[in-house]
Amino acid sequence: MAAGLKTIIALSFVLAIGFLLVILSSALWHKYWPLLVVGIYVVAPLPNWICQRCANPDDFMDSSSNSAMDFGRFLTGFLVLTGIALPIVLAHSGAIEIPAMIMSIFGGLLIYGTIISFSMFFQEQEEF
Amino acid sequence: MDSSNNRLFRFSKPEWLNNSSVRNGGVYVAGALFAAGFFFLIDVASFSRSPRNGSDVHIKFVDWIPGICSALGMLVINSIEKSRLQADSFSYSGSGVAWKARFVLFLGFALLAGGLAGSVTVMVLKYLIKDYPIQTLYFGIANIVANGLVMLSSIVLWVSQNIEDDYTYNLAL
Repeated sequence: MAAGLKTIIALSFVLAIGFLLVILSSALWHKYWPLLVVGIYVVAPLPNWICQRCANPDDFMDSSSNSAMDFGRFLTGFLVLTGIALPIVLAHSGAIEIPAMIMSIFGGLLIYGTIISFSMFFQEQEEF
Repeated sequence: MDSSNNRLFRFSKPEWLNNSSVRNGGVYVAGALFAAGFFFLIDVASFSRSPRNGSDVHIKFVDWIPGICSALGMLVINSIEKSRLQADSFSYSGSGVAWKARFVLFLGFALLAGGLAGSVTVMVLKYLIKDYPIQTLYFGIANIVANGLVMLSSIVLWVSQNIEDDYTYNLAL
């Protein structure tokens, strides 16, 4: 899977659309809570990266390295669902409107998908 | 681990379960389930202080105790080294390691079950017997759902961490 120029352009378009949705969802109603979603989704891939550095993947007999990776995965799952659940919680308690909730969820998912697919392309290029 | 000769149950563990991607996906799903439970609690707490809450019933510290118990139980259960549970059947381990591990595991499960039972208690005693409308009753229902999700998350994490034994050797090739 070659990470060509087209892939990068498409990914940047998707990233821009995601940011557009999140910023619109906060700016249209003058309530800037949905911007937290961007921060959460930017932080979300970090535990995996950090725990992959902490764990030594060459060491098969030691199971403690595996548990460090598992902790990173657990945190990643936690953060991804946080990004979905936070707008719902905000909308339910009346801090933001329902359309803003939908827009910020979709925008956040687009941003996170961009980050994940970009890192996947990048890693596969690096291996060879 | 379970060869076909001396297995206990009639149905064997399906073959696709011994897959590293299934295992990793299980850990992700466990994190997501825990986050869902956590955000049910957050949602209830923020809703009870928001202007949308018509009643004057609010979330107090009592509503948080079952969630704290469940989270502590999950922490205890999943911080045990799994291989120590069968440690007495091997000769190299010291005496009583498996017994201690099982005792700590029992404490963890007791905390988890206590959290779930406590959430039912809070719902019945604080909300159900006072005939509140459904919006206020939601505080109690969400508490039960949150504790059940934390329990489900720890079950998923436990099962998916027990998968690991078979695939590590395949990876070593």
